[in-house]
Amino acid sequence: MDHALTLHGVTKRFGSFTAVSDLSLEVPKGCIYGFLGQNGAGKTTTIRMVMSIFHPDAGTISVLGHPDAGEVKDRLGYLPEEKGLYKKMKTAEIVAYFGKLKGMDRSTANQRARELLTRFGLGDWLDKKCEAMSKGMGQKVQVLGTIIHDPELVILDEPFSGLDPVNRDTMRDIILDMKRQGRTVIFSTHGMEQAEQLCDFVMMIHKAKLQFAGSLAQVRQGRDLGIQLDYDGDGRVLQQLPGARRVNDHGKHAEIFLQSGQDPQQALRWLVDHVRVRRFDYREPSLHEIFVRTVEEADARLAATGGLR
Amino acid sequence: MASKTLLVAQREYLDNVRTKTFWLGILAFPAIFALAIGIGWVMNKTKAQQPYAVLDLTESGLGTRIEANARANDRIASLRRFASEQGVPEAKLAPLDAIDLTDPATLLLQLRDLEGAVTAEADPQQTARFERMVESLAAKYRFEPLAALGAEHGSAAEREQVLREHVRSGRLFAYFVLAGDPVADATQLGYVSNNLTDNALSEWYGGAATRVVRKLRLAAAQIAPETARHIQESIHFRPRRVAADGSLEDVKDEQKANKFAPVVFVYLLWIAVFTAAQMLLTNTVEEKSNRIIEVLLSSVSPGQLMAGKIWGIGATGLTLILSWAVCGLVGVHFGVQAVPKLAEWNLAEIVGDPLYLTSFVGYFLSGYLLFAAILVAIGSVCNSLKEAQNLLQPVFLLLMIPLFAMIPVVQEPNGLMARVFTYIPLYTPFAMMNRASGPPPAWEYAATTVLILFSVWFAFKAAGRIFRVGVLMTGNPPRLKEILSWLRAS
Repeated sequence: MDHALTLHGVTKRFGSFTAVSDLSLEVPKGCIYGFLGQNGAGKTTTIRMVMSIFHPDAGTISVLGHPDAGEVKDRLGYLPEEKGLYKKMKTAEIVAYFGKLKGMDRSTANQRARELLTRFGLGDWLDKKCEAMSKGMGQKVQVLGTIIHDPELVILDEPFSGLDPVNRDTMRDIILDMKRQGRTVIFSTHGMEQAEQLCDFVMMIHKAKLQFAGSLAQVRQGRDLGIQLDYDGDGRVLQQLPGARRVNDHGKHAEIFLQSGQDPQQALRWLVDHVRVRRFDYREPSLHEIFVRTVEEADARLAATGGLR
Repeated sequence: MASKTLLVAQREYLDNVRTKTFWLGILAFPAIFALAIGIGWVMNKTKAQQPYAVLDLTESGLGTRIEANARANDRIASLRRFASEQGVPEAKLAPLDAIDLTDPATLLLQLRDLEGAVTAEADPQQTARFERMVESLAAKYRFEPLAALGAEHGSAAEREQVLREHVRSGRLFAYFVLAGDPVADATQLGYVSNNLTDNALSEWYGGAATRVVRKLRLAAAQIAPETARHIQESIHFRPRRVAADGSLEDVKDEQKANKFAPVVFVYLLWIAVFTAAQMLLTNTVEEKSNRIIEVLLSSVSPGQLMAGKIWGIGATGLTLILSWAVCGLVGVHFGVQAVPKLAEWNLAEIVGDPLYLTSFVGYFLSGYLLFAAILVAIGSVCNSLKEAQNLLQPVFLLLMIPLFAMIPVVQEPNGLMARVFTYIPLYTPFAMMNRASGPPPAWEYAATTVLILFSVWFAFKAAGRIFRVGVLMTGNPPRLKEILSWLRAS
């Protein structure tokens, strides 16, 4: 299969600190790929290396078949984690400016900037200065600046952070739209629901090291099943469920894992007696659970081996 | 690839030039300059008239003679100025020597006759101007007769008491006391005023008193007026310079103006370089602190970004200079109409002198590029303007030195100090501009051009290395050691 991005044994150090360690990864063309990990895990550093803003200390990166993103800059779109705009520029101008920097000619860039902004509900803002916009609008403008030149590979660092539900939906639509056009989208996120809903593939990095990578099905495969429970009542009682190994209570929803050999039917009976059950499901763990468990296991391993990275 | 640099430069330029504050700043400078000159002029013009009284206790009535002499002296000064402006031959003023400046009875009459003769041939407009000149000088100090002040009668002590009251109340600026016989012994003279700093009146009146007393003493010693004049003559050296063809030529005012013109240019150069470099710093720090830099770096290389910024803001600086030049030419145009004397200085010629103009633009560019490289490197390692200001201080001090050295260098444009400054790359543009009145030999122009081009190249290379790493750094600014290691890394 043709890959939009390949990383092989990539390592990046800042002084004595290792930000990314021996990372290998393949991102197939035309998919949506989620980068998961805690803050400071190494996601942004990985992305910056992909964008040739940093150079890896070891390993190789191939972007759209080229060893250096610098050669294919104009075919990439990049939305950094910390988003900024020129306050004094007008929205249409700045979107067009990003397009021109990507090699679009002047009139095409200007025209397309206005088209995109209008399509995404900023038609009234074309000739207004960026400083007058709300955060959500500013972020939308930035994303449009990222995709104005129809890049083949788009990398979005935390595209959903700080957005309200409506703007999250807009962002989701933009991402899905790009996939439909056959483009490859990589985004990093802390929101497991978004990753679950959108991504064909995910990878997780923790303390510089890759923990898992693959399609959602592959990632879930082989993990113990758990109870997905929607309920009303006092959630504290759930902790007393006989045979429960792990209870993640969210107030109205809980994810419960049983000790091996325990029967979920038994658990259901007990639950019906103690809370009002609205939904009961026995299935693969959520991405959220996988994420939390991976962090715990990795930290435990690190503690056991001395904890040095 | 170069087109991306151009795009960045274009954006920077438009971003600055489109703001109202930029144009306000540009126009504010000549406006403040004009205002400063205007205020000085107005203050001089509107300086309150100073009323004074003279308590004359001399038997000979010396006060009348001094008063007449002081007034006559003012008129003579105006007449001489008028004559020199109108090109009236010296011979026409010869009768001045015959007037007895100590005789109030004949003095003013004779003087008026002469004035009439000199101004008769001038056009009425100029004559009217002369009249105004005389009037404005005469109005500077107002003589208050004792009668008007109620100090006419009584003993000397009583009369002085009255005058003292008038000084205290502010009716009088000052009064003079003439007592004893000043011709024999001038120790009993007094000047009473509560203004301790403005000595103009006392000097003006004192000058007249000196002239009168000296004349009377010469007469008492029976020295002929011709002999006296001969003895009192001041000695002048006639200033000339060696012209290009080896002959001697007289030095005119305009040449002096020419000589000091570089000072003005250096000052403007300094402001222009500093304004533009400062803009660049603010802009880099801003871009870095609002994180737009990362988006830019995903589209252009750090080198393209840096070059684009430097050129864009350099163009902004050139716009600044051009606007000033236009303001300056317009100012000179109207200034010459208002003050004809200015025309002799050939200001338009100095402003438009190709040597000055090309040096100015050339040295602006080279000076700017040098400081721009330093400031863009500083900007790239700072996360906030506050941090940048701290780092900027030493650079600012370095940049101040050419301002202090300006006058000594212009006085001796090819001297040791001028030469030393010329070969310190940071100061080369300022020093060479400063020396333009010399002007320095051609080989120095060639040598400094090579020096400055090399320095700019070197500064750009070094700044590029710092910028590349610094611009993506967050957290504490790097230590000098780290920066040095970036410089060594290729």
